[in-house]
Order: sequence, then C-alpha cells, then structure tokens
Amino acid sequence: MKRRLLLFGCLQSVFLVAWTSAAVRSYVPNFRNIAAQAGLTDSFPNGGSEKKQFIIETTGSGIAFIDYDNDGLPDLFVLSGAGGTNRMYHNEGHDRFRDVTKLLGLQSSGWAQGVCAGDFDNDGFTDLFVTYWGDNHLYRNVQGRHFEDVTAATHLKQGRRRYNTGCAFVDADRDGHLDLFVANYLKFDPAVTPGPGANPYCFYRGIPVNCGPKGLPFDRNILYRNNGDGTFTDISVPSGVAEPEGHYGLGVLTGDFNGDGLPDIYVACDQTPSLLYMNKGGNRFEEEAVIRGTAFDQNGKAMSGMGVDAGDYTNEGHLSIFRTNFSDEFESLYRNHGDGIFDDVTLGAGLGQNTKYVGWGTSFFDFDNDGWKDLLLVNGHAFPEVDRLHIDIHYKERAILYQNLGKGRFRDISDHAGPGILEVHSARGAAFADIDNDGAMEIAINNQNEPPTLFKQAENPPGHWTLLKLTGKRSNRSAIGAKVKVMADGRQQLSEVRSGGSYLSQNDLRLHFGLGSATTVDRIEIEWPSGVRQVLENQLCDRVLVVTEPN
Amino acid sequence: MQATRVFALCFLACWGLLSADTAREQGIQAFSEGRYRLALEKLKTASPSASDPTAHVYLLLTYAALGDCKTALPGLANYAAVRGVPLSKMAGLAAVNCYAVEDDYGRVFSTLQALEARFPNDADVLYLAAKQHMKAFNNSTFAMFQRAPASYRVHELSAEIFEAQNRFAEAAAEYRKAIEANPSAPELHYRLGRAILLGAHTPEALRQAKQEFLSELKISPEDAACEFQLGQISLAEGNSAEARPHFDKALALSPEFVDALVALGKIDAQEKQFPQAISLLKRAVAKEPSNERAHYALLMAYRNSGELENAKQEKSILDGLQKPKDGEFSDFLKRLGEKQPDR
Repeated sequence: MKRRLLLFGCLQSVFLVAWTSAAVRSYVPNFRNIAAQAGLTDSFPNGGSEKKQFIIETTGSGIAFIDYDNDGLPDLFVLSGAGGTNRMYHNEGHDRFRDVTKLLGLQSSGWAQGVCAGDFDNDGFTDLFVTYWGDNHLYRNVQGRHFEDVTAATHLKQGRRRYNTGCAFVDADRDGHLDLFVANYLKFDPAVTPGPGANPYCFYRGIPVNCGPKGLPFDRNILYRNNGDGTFTDISVPSGVAEPEGHYGLGVLTGDFNGDGLPDIYVACDQTPSLLYMNKGGNRFEEEAVIRGTAFDQNGKAMSGMGVDAGDYTNEGHLSIFRTNFSDEFESLYRNHGDGIFDDVTLGAGLGQNTKYVGWGTSFFDFDNDGWKDLLLVNGHAFPEVDRLHIDIHYKERAILYQNLGKGRFRDISDHAGPGILEVHSARGAAFADIDNDGAMEIAINNQNEPPTLFKQAENPPGHWTLLKLTGKRSNRSAIGAKVKVMADGRQQLSEVRSGGSYLSQNDLRLHFGLGSATTVDRIEIEWPSGVRQVLENQLCDRVLVVTEPN
Repeated sequence: MQATRVFALCFLACWGLLSADTAREQGIQAFSEGRYRLALEKLKTASPSASDPTAHVYLLLTYAALGDCKTALPGLANYAAVRGVPLSKMAGLAAVNCYAVEDDYGRVFSTLQALEARFPNDADVLYLAAKQHMKAFNNSTFAMFQRAPASYRVHELSAEIFEAQNRFAEAAAEYRKAIEANPSAPELHYRLGRAILLGAHTPEALRQAKQEFLSELKISPEDAACEFQLGQISLAEGNSAEARPHFDKALALSPEFVDALVALGKIDAQEKQFPQAISLLKRAVAKEPSNERAHYALLMAYRNSGELENAKQEKSILDGLQKPKDGEFSDFLKRLGEKQPDR
C-alpha cells in the first residue's frame, strides 16, 4: 500500500510538472493598465502635444522603480518635463501608490530626462540621480525618510547647461564605490536653434518639425569617479569616454559583455553609430562598437537608437543587447558570442516585423515565468505633427510584447496580450518591477503629457519564480554589477544587477527569474563586483530571496 | 584755325566716349537694381559691341529680363557657350529661361547640360535645372492625365508620385488600379510589392508583397530584382535557408548585382562559410567600392573568421565612407558657430 501511495505521489508530481510545463508554454498574458486604480493619475508635461518647437520636447523622460524606504516594495519615481514636478509615489501595497514627493523633498522644475539609482555612499539606502537639460541632481536618500540634494556638495554641478540624458551608477574600477556615467545628447540652446522647417534637418516626410538632432552640435559623454569621500571627480577625458566625437547619446546600459569581470558601458545613439566603451581596467575605456558589431544595423547603417537593455535571452550565459530605434528602422538585437563580440540577429530572431513604431523604453523580462526572457518595448513617435499625414505612423502608439520561443526566436504577441498593451500613448521611459512580490512583473511607463501607465497581468502566470535582493559588503551596497546565474529545471539563466538602462529609466534593483515548472532552485552562483563568488543550493522558489555578500 | 578744329573734334570725341562710358556704368547699375527700362536705355546709348562683352551681355540680359527673348537669345546663347567670357553663366541661365518661354525644351535641356558640366556645384545652375525638370515633368503629367486618362499609366504615375512622398498605402492602391487596368504590364507587381514593404513589415505585409513578386516573375521570369526581394522577405521572416536560392537566382540572372552578392555573403558568413563569404563580399566591394553595406558585411566576415587586421582595414574604409561630406553639415554648423552654445 505504501509503495502504491509512493507511486501515486510520483505520478502526481510527474503529472504536475508536465501540466505546469504545458501551461507555461500555452500561457497568454492579459496585461491591463491599472494606473488609475493604483492612484497614478497625475499628468506629466513634456512639451507640445499637437506640435513641438524644439527637440527638448521630444526626448521625454524616464521613470524608476526604487525601494527608497527598504520596506520590500518598489516605489515609483516619475520624471517630468518643464511645467511639472518629478513625483515619488510610495508603494502602499495592494497595488496602491501614494504621492510622497513633498514629504521627501523631491519637488523639482525643469526638463528632467533620465534617472538612475544606486547607493553611492554605501549607507544602505538607495540614492537617486536625475539628469536634466540643465543642472543634474544627485539626491541622497537620508534613512528612507527624505532626500537631500547633494549635487553641489558632491561636485556634480556642471559649468554650463548640458543636454544630459541616460545615466548609470557603475563601479567602473571595482573599488566598492559607485561611479557615475552620464550620456549627453547634443548642444541645445533655444536662442540659436532654428525653428521647424528652417532647414532640411527640420522636416519629417515633408512636414516641418523641430530641428535635430542632425544639424545640431554634438556634445560628449561624462564619467565621474566616486572618490569614496562623498565627492566625485570628472574623469571623462582620462578615462576615454569623452571620445569619440560625433554621437548623439541617449540610453545607457552597463554590463560585463566580454566576461572579464569589468563593467562595460553601451550608449544607444540617435542617428549616429551607437557606442560600446570596453572597460580596460584602471578607469580606462576604449570605444569598440563598430568592430564588436553593436554600432550599426546589419547593413552598416547607423540607426536612431533610443532605449537599450541586455539579457541572456538564449540562456547560454552571455548578455546580448537589444536596442529600440526609430520608425522605418528595424529594432536591433545583437547576440553576444560570449566574448563581447556581437552579431546583429534581429531578422533571424523574428524581430523584423515592426517598422512603423518609434521605440523607447524596453527590457528583457520573463512575463510568463517559463525561464526564457521575453521582450517588451514601448513606443510613441517623436513628432506629434506626424498625425497630420494620416498614414499608419502615429504620435501615440501601442507597446510591443515579444514572447521568447526559445532557440533564439521571438514571436510578436502584442495583439493577444491584453488591452493594456494595445492602449496608445506617446511613451518614453519604462521601468520593470514586481510591485507586489507575487512573481509577476509589472511595468511602469512615462507617457508624454499624460499620467503614467502601469501594466499588470490580470492573472498570475503559471510558472514558478524567484526574486533576488542582493546586498553588497565589500562590493557597493546596491550590488550593482553583481552577476547571478540561476540553475533550475535543467536551465541556467544569467542576469546582472544594473543601474539605469531601458530608456533613461531604472528597473527594480532586484533580479527576477522565471523558473518554469521547477519548484526549487538547484543552484545560484553570484559573482560579486568585489570578485567574491558565492554559491547557494536548493533554494525554495516563489519567494524573495535576500542575499548578503559574504565577508 | 586748324589747331582749334582738331581740338574741337578731339573734345567732341572724348565727350562722346565719356558719355558712352557713363551710360554703360549707369546701365549696369540700373540692371543690378532691377530697373530694366532704364538699363535698356543706358546700355543702348553705350552701344556696346564685341569689344566690350560685359556691357553687351548686360544689354542682352536686359532684353531677356524685359521679355524680349527674340532679341536676346542668339547673343545669350553665344556668350553662354564661350568659356572665359565674363557673365557667361548668367547668359546661360537667362538663355535657359528664354528657351523655356518659347517652349523649346530641346534647347532648355541641352543648355542646362552644358552649364551643369561647366558649373557642377553651382546652386543657381542646379536650382534652374531642378525647376525646369519639374516643369517638364508637370507638363508631361498634365498632358497624360488630359489625353490618356483611361491608361494604366495614369495610375502607375500617380502611384510613383505617392511613393516619392512616402505615402505607401496610397501608392499601393494606385498600383492595384494600374494592375487591374493592365494585368500583364511588367514592373507593376514589382512596384506594388515594394510599396507594400516600404509601408510595413508585418507578416501580412510580407505575405502580400511575396505574392506580388511572384506575380511579377510570371510576367518577367528573369527579373533579378524580384528574386532579390523574395530573398529579403525570407530573411525578414527569419528564414535564411529559404532566402539563399532566391539570392542565388538573382545573381545568376544578373552577375553584377552587388546587393545579391552582399546578401549571399552574409548568409555564408552566418553559416560560418567564411572563405566563400569573403570571396563574395570582396567581389561586391570591387564592383562598388563606395558601397557601405558591402564593406560592413566584409568587416563582419573578416572579424568572425579571425582576420582582425583585415577587419580593421575594412573599418577604416567604412569610416571614410561614412564621414559626412563637406558641406553637408559644415555650412549649417558654421552659421550656428556665429553664436555657439557654450563649450
């Protein structure tokens, strides 16, 4: 009898595993926009909605998930263009958010562009850096109770008005203190920038639109070294990131692309070749995008790169790069051979279908928890004037959801992925987090001149999952740059803790892994930025796992 | 007495010369101010001849400006044809306008051709050429719409105009009407397929475009461009195995087809057939040394085959090709430089 029960138990678990696998494979998501119910009803101004005079109105703003008070629930920080304020919304649980901007001292004005998070002073609370056309701001998180603007005190004030865009905290020299990379778009001065239609660079399909970026002067990117004493030093020139000239930088992505343990930096550039700064150690970078295969599309043509993310979408242990581009261009998927050499595999991966959208925020994420990273990108044309053309390219556009089919292939399932995906907005930044720690990822999107969107699935996906929160000790406290390999269900997945990314945005610093039908995680390998390696075995799934770097 | 007479004659002759010189200058001045009637009066007084070609050209330009092309044209045409004559470009431009007034488009374009050969970077010459070509295009279009409104060519031309304006859905609709009017006309299915692809790359768009290229091949079985497009569609569908035979066929039909060479080279490189890939791509860059696609594909093939030095060499060629041409940004940036944002 005992043997029969045992046999039944085994059969039952086989059946359950088989059922879960099948369920995961056939799962169709139902994304809805729950922003209004969640209390996210403030609109965020960002230039004209009918027409735009200047390029500053087109690039929009980022959005961030950060758990500023360490209560285990990611809060939401939304950036604003001129005429509004950036806002921090505290995650109250149960999919509700409360505006705490004033309480935290985060009221602002001006053209906020990008946001990135990291604990720059290693005090255990995540700080915020916000880029502007104008003065950037570093907000020090004071015990999760309020934010203090320490831009001047940390020597991050800039001598002139710059068009700062994407940013990322990155421990470039692995000294345990987070350095800071800031991309720059171009030199923009409304007093000397011509108006719509003023010259050939101020037209789109025959209609006058704001001028640029072509025809406007270039600027350069910036790397600040964290001195470890609460100040930063601009090392752009000696580090090599001030070169080369002639690029319009937007989205910033960090990652160890060649597996040498040093974080590299990728910059998605608009209408010019994108940049890949390879970290040579000793705070020295060399730009190698062309030869490494991430500068152009597969025809050697520079695209209008906007947002960018990295992910091991093939589960081969390499970080590949995905970049969103302009309409009439393919998106770009660069598959990493493993040594930081990439091939453009956009068409072969099934991503050669959507050419009418201007893509911005994006991330690899596993919406169905099947253990294969899917892709979401949000869209919206740069020029509202495009609607006057009455063609199938529009200022407000829907998102695109690609399901990872395995074997390096994706399928566009946007039409069947729920009403949220089909809502049209002129979206820019997008941030990803599991806001209620239930294993299903949510996505917040910053829309031009509208309230943000918050995508949530109507039902939880069937696959199991784990969510890892890492805390550094010898490494930076945010564990930014930590590489995590998760082995479960016969698969190995790789991810990295990352500041910045997407389009001028910040995802939750915790790492989410879908596990498919696996009920335990066989093995977790963590390579901390300090070089320390840590292995955890037989971890339970469907929970948040907090891991501290061993001494 | 004799001496007085001589003096008087000299005085009169000098006065005449002086007054002729004054009239010449006043005439030129009046022309440059757009006061053509006064210019004509003064320049006629100056009665310029072959010994003063500048004043003579001004007189002819004045006739042309006043609409008297009959008087102006023979002289203008002569001066336009002679190198080294001052104002010969202006004479040429005025001659073109006069020929256009007389609807003599044969001479309009032959004169323009000569001007473009002598002044290839001159904005005035290029502007007039563009304007006259546009006018000729408009005249022919109008004539076709008026005299052959039922022809499929009307829809074909409408489609091409929409296509040039990036209005691909409207272009496709016009191509469909043209096909309906003349199902066996060559090129139409090809152009329709291309318009569909220019508008979208959705699976439905790819399917429709594929159908059009296949239809075109029934009419023109040796159309290499159609085979190439079918290959491109297969690539967009992520199916390089299906793409290869189309590119092979395109190349067989048109051995000089550089894009087909590049496409095949890329597929070979993808399949790690590097010697084959590099050979095809080297053929491509030899045929079209300024083809950036070919150089980039060769760069990638060299890199992936481990030939890093060759890859770097291709990169430097590509860098040179992609460097903005002088004048593309520089003029505009120079103007911005008058009041540059702070550095």
